[in-house]
Amino acid sequence: MGSGRWSTDVYSAAAKYRAATGTSAFAHSDSGARAVHDALNPHGVTVRESRDSDQHPQATPIAILFDVTGSMGSVPRMLQTKLPELFGLLIRKGYCTDPQILFGAIGDATCDKAPLQIGQFESDNRMDDDLGRILLEGGGGGQRTESYELAMYFMARHTALDATARGRRGYLFIIGDEMAYRQVKPAEVRRFIGDTITEPISTEAILAELRRSYDVYFIMPAHAGHTGDPEILAYWRGLLGQHVIELDDLGAVCETIALTVGLGEDATDLDSGLTDLAEAGSSAGATVGKALAPLGSSRGALVRSALPAGFGGDRATPVTRL
Amino acid sequence: MTLPRHVLVVDLGYGDAGKGTIVDWLCATRPVNAVIRFNGGAQAAHNVVTPDGRHHTFAQFGSGTLHGVPTHLSRFMMIDPPALAAEAEHLAALGVPAPFELLTVDRQALLTTPWHRAANRRREAARGDDRHGSCGMGVGETAAFALAHPDLAVRAGDTESPATLARKLCGIRDALTAELGPLDAPPVADVADAFRWFGTAVRLVSSARHVLEGPCVFEGAQGVLLDEWRGWHPYTTWSTTTFDNAETLLAENGGDDALRLGVVRTYTTRHGAGPLVTEDPQLTAALPERHNAHGPWQGAWRAGHFDAVAHRYAVEVCGGVDALAVTHTDAADRHDLKMCLAYEQLDRIVPGERGDLAYQEKLTQILAAATPVYTGFGSVGEALGAPVMVTSHGPAYPDKTQLLGPW
Repeated sequence: MGSGRWSTDVYSAAAKYRAATGTSAFAHSDSGARAVHDALNPHGVTVRESRDSDQHPQATPIAILFDVTGSMGSVPRMLQTKLPELFGLLIRKGYCTDPQILFGAIGDATCDKAPLQIGQFESDNRMDDDLGRILLEGGGGGQRTESYELAMYFMARHTALDATARGRRGYLFIIGDEMAYRQVKPAEVRRFIGDTITEPISTEAILAELRRSYDVYFIMPAHAGHTGDPEILAYWRGLLGQHVIELDDLGAVCETIALTVGLGEDATDLDSGLTDLAEAGSSAGATVGKALAPLGSSRGALVRSALPAGFGGDRATPVTRL
Repeated sequence: MTLPRHVLVVDLGYGDAGKGTIVDWLCATRPVNAVIRFNGGAQAAHNVVTPDGRHHTFAQFGSGTLHGVPTHLSRFMMIDPPALAAEAEHLAALGVPAPFELLTVDRQALLTTPWHRAANRRREAARGDDRHGSCGMGVGETAAFALAHPDLAVRAGDTESPATLARKLCGIRDALTAELGPLDAPPVADVADAFRWFGTAVRLVSSARHVLEGPCVFEGAQGVLLDEWRGWHPYTTWSTTTFDNAETLLAENGGDDALRLGVVRTYTTRHGAGPLVTEDPQLTAALPERHNAHGPWQGAWRAGHFDAVAHRYAVEVCGGVDALAVTHTDAADRHDLKMCLAYEQLDRIVPGERGDLAYQEKLTQILAAATPVYTGFGSVGEALGAPVMVTSHGPAYPDKTQLLGPW
């Protein structure tokens, strides 16, 4: 019966697991699939839910949507390898209670086969499964716009968060390097989500709706094609104000998300957060510190400010944090 | 009658009867939702050969993997994460695109650590000539340790909590080192790192329910005659090798009907120490085992004629079988195989009370002195009182003949 055939060396095992999670993580895409995986298809989905439960009594919803076109295709792979660290920081350091993470991918509805892919809020490594099912399109329209507004529409109207009943909001991170289209188009909504809307919705209006349940952040990494493009940065700053995070190194994206949540939950300040990162063995401190400096230094202003620029009078109530 | 939904595969001998090749055949010839492992650990060695000649020794992955059938490692398993990584690497080399995608692991499953393995070897070496035939993989040590130190036993779900994982690994190292002296194992932090990666690569679940939605094959490890309570004590394994665990899993999840399939070879083998009444050195020499050699920890590979007395005992203690799978029928064609339907001293091994290890030890003494009475090789189905569902005359799944169906 017995074998003892397979190596029990822990060092080579760690390397093998690392390699396997890197290569097999995107098996759906890497195997040549060209359609959205059923589990991530937003068409006909009523809601994606982040619910409180006995096991997770105070769920903190964290949605991470990334552009999967062109040069941004490496973001999900990076996220996948860093996911345990993200979770570790959130839980170990108490940055938030019961994190539940949803992954989604954004493409271009005018030319991609899979312009929108949305997983579930998960609190265990089923989120890895969702990440692994994402189709990495790699195309993109080349006109410096992607269908971010379509994703915002889905998140605004097709997610349900128990956190909001407790007076909290979720966190929504969009990682990308282009601009959204001007408005949510009824034909695209029907085709990719299945809803019927009669009128186009302006991107500003859908973002305002989205912000009732989420703090929305835009992360623009340096490896991307248009980093530093003043027009794109100005565009997102106009929409999101200080919630635009410029990131020199894509490798620091998980730490950046963790710290942003920690800051948002008032669970840490930037200095202690950077100390936490160093303790956790992360070398991303400098990058994260630079990226989050605007958030960290102006936390007071952020708490008490009225709407960021670009919002007109859409919202009467100022942004308050709990 | 309605067709059983699942098939439970156990070995009615001392292991090595060919469960792997039968599970491989089941997965090749019918829709199977998952192969469920329900006992043992990384010491299993189920050899599967494909028609195009690829070979894999399945230890922790189910033997249906080469057909793309997922594996569920139930809470009765003892998992060795480093060995699992090495096995996955070999499967990938054989063309399985993403082996870990095919795996779910119950959070309650125990994990074998390098300290368990080192302690196992230390104890087995100390037994000198009285070895128990352990594989030196630490599987029994893992089971024994979990009974003695339930709060320190590492379970698959602990890999989700770095703090718990580190605390338990330190506890295991300290407890075993205190008992046995310094053990040859890497630092705790390095073991924790590898184990955390394991928890990331596999999908951890809390029950078998998700796989039982479709038809499943339950793949047993080792054999009923090595059962911790029913085998010849102390030459047994720390594992329940009967249908019991599989039926517990089924009962917990709705109690679907299942076919109880017992696997035997046309001759009886044993790897390692312990009674083998029909042992015949000439047969051992005539029927060398391609994938089972003398193991440094386990000891010699031994072959004997078909021991119907022992196999009938196995059928009886595991509560009966619905059908049999008979492997190595080609050996019966080529060699002068015999059957032992009775020993000179007795024609039936009477089961004792479950849990009475003193009784099992007495059986061991009786069997060590028993003399086989041989007849010519006859019908295995008649000898064991159950119909033969399938025979195997070669290593690959096309080398099987289904005699009884339609399962």
